[in-house]
Amino acid sequence: MMTQESIPAAHQARTPFEFKSAAHLLFIERQRACNIDELGEGLRSCSEESIFQHTFRTLEEHHFIKEGFSNDFAQWAYMELREVGLGERLASLDVREFTALVTLRSRIIGIVEEFASANPKARARSAAAPFYFCSSRTIVLPMHRTASNLDEFIDCLRMVSPHSLHYHFIEARLRRKLESNDFSIWLERDLGLKREASLLNEIDIYTSTLEGVRRKIIQILENSP
Amino acid sequence: MDEMRHSTDRVAEARPTATTNQETEGSGQGQLRARKKPRISDMPPAPPPAPRLAEYEPIIGTFQLDELRFLAKPLVGKRAKMVNSTALGGGVAEMLNRLVPLLDELGVKTNWEVITGGNDFFDVTKAFHNALHGADIILTQQARDVFLRTTEQNRQRIKFEEEFIVIHDPQPAGLITSREGSSARWVWRCHIDLSHPNPDVWNFLRPMVESYDAAVFSSPAFAHSLGIPQALFYPCIDPLSEKNKDLDDSYVQQVCDNFGIDRSRPIVTQISRFDRLKDPVGVIRAYKMARKYVDCQLVLAGGGAADDPEGAVVLREVYEAAGDDPDIIILDLPPWSALEINALQRASTIVVQKSLKEGFGLTVTEALWKGKPTIASAVGGIPTQVIDRQTGVLVNSVEGCAYQIRYLLTHPEFGAQLGRNGREHVKENFLMTTNARRWLLLFRILTGLIT
Repeated sequence: MMTQESIPAAHQARTPFEFKSAAHLLFIERQRACNIDELGEGLRSCSEESIFQHTFRTLEEHHFIKEGFSNDFAQWAYMELREVGLGERLASLDVREFTALVTLRSRIIGIVEEFASANPKARARSAAAPFYFCSSRTIVLPMHRTASNLDEFIDCLRMVSPHSLHYHFIEARLRRKLESNDFSIWLERDLGLKREASLLNEIDIYTSTLEGVRRKIIQILENSP
Repeated sequence: MDEMRHSTDRVAEARPTATTNQETEGSGQGQLRARKKPRISDMPPAPPPAPRLAEYEPIIGTFQLDELRFLAKPLVGKRAKMVNSTALGGGVAEMLNRLVPLLDELGVKTNWEVITGGNDFFDVTKAFHNALHGADIILTQQARDVFLRTTEQNRQRIKFEEEFIVIHDPQPAGLITSREGSSARWVWRCHIDLSHPNPDVWNFLRPMVESYDAAVFSSPAFAHSLGIPQALFYPCIDPLSEKNKDLDDSYVQQVCDNFGIDRSRPIVTQISRFDRLKDPVGVIRAYKMARKYVDCQLVLAGGGAADDPEGAVVLREVYEAAGDDPDIIILDLPPWSALEINALQRASTIVVQKSLKEGFGLTVTEALWKGKPTIASAVGGIPTQVIDRQTGVLVNSVEGCAYQIRYLLTHPEFGAQLGRNGREHVKENFLMTTNARRWLLLFRILTGLIT
């Protein structure tokens, strides 16, 4: 097995990778839901920042949980509405399949509407506690850390905060409108590491913590020939 | 005219002393084994100096600290003012004691002002406080006049020259009238539960609140349909405070020795005031059910019995429920027992918070931060902290609590996993540094410095 020392460091990137991070502030929105129909209404009328908060962002807030937490809608369906079938379907959403919040919103609404029409009795059921729609305002932070080759990149990866990892590895697809991430794009484009770039995209973020994701990325890159 | 004073004077009157169940007369615990008298000062110690930003680095990491500094950069040189109604005692003052120096060090020069008022004013604001929690009161013209008159006196006294003015809670909310002609951004930080406010009092305060640039609440359930943005800031703990800082194990041992707690056996603890809403008797019942199957001791530690008549009644009920069980250790501690509470939490195998009603439940945050498997009721802000079977265990009954005590005491690996997740959850969401981060974010958003 290759060690970090044996990775060729001489290969300089065409452009350095600039590490950034994102800071988010939560705002409370006017929508509230006490049953499935109200959830559907809220989903239709809430802002895109709200969809972002309850899916992408909540994953970051709970980055230390490696299984059983997917998004706030699923969590509410399980815990407060006690609708396991709905919770399960919502939990199966993988944010990485979405490069736009508009399509993610449509998918969630579709799941809720399908469940409601297949389970008309469930529509009358009240949740133990309401779902409060929140939204997230984001500020991107330059970290003034750059990597010009693989060694430097791995060194930075070891140190960056989970917020930075989330920003580059998960949120990136919304910015780039691509089913990829900042790391993979840079590794392929600037270092020619196509295989590694592809392997990074296969990491399952729903069965790992963000720390686990960090370890897997480093492992893939350390094993790079 | 009423004598002018700070509301803190009332806090300073309370001087409860530490007692254990061995020392209280007539509590029916004569058969308990003798324990040493706990050595707790009967005077509050001087508060330790606020920590420097760099002291948080080993806790949150270099990058997170760098993020705070980057976030603060465009705000360096700007000034903020925090205004509340008390300099000592209570969660808001405790929080400001740590937040103000942190913002200062990050370059946002922050002043902290405390409003003054007479007995009549603080009687009115106490009634407002209860009414905003849902109490049924009649809002008289006299009460309105007292509130507005004292607000005006404070408005004349306090200068508002900073770029950001943060007014905490309803008592100083009327100071918003000072914003006229100023370009400062005004924020109302509401720390109390506004989910079911008395309509008369809320309708009196609401126009004041809607004159702010933004409001900040501790839970989405407390927010209202207002014409201003409403941010969500969770309450937080300071990992470097007396109540949460790391302790030498020798000190933890010493505290346990003082209180007659046997660390070689499992310890189940609830830390809370002796208040029916914390259900200490329910905890004893759960412990007794669990005790049939697993060996453990129960520690009930808190305060409130010395300065609150109802607290003393609850404490008596607790002694009665405990009976002559030598493994139930009841500690009525003075408010300055932060280090002892810290040690008790660290010595615990499991921490319980079986409240019937709860605000946010900072004792839960403290237990999670110490990596303790935590069993807590699914009420108030607790489910925000305890994600069932991920960061702790949620319960809804005495029986459920008893079962989870048995389960966690016999499945320590699962408990350890909960403890690890719980600590991470607090680190990410409920630490003082996260609170500072939220303030910096809000200041930047309010001034349009968002790129």
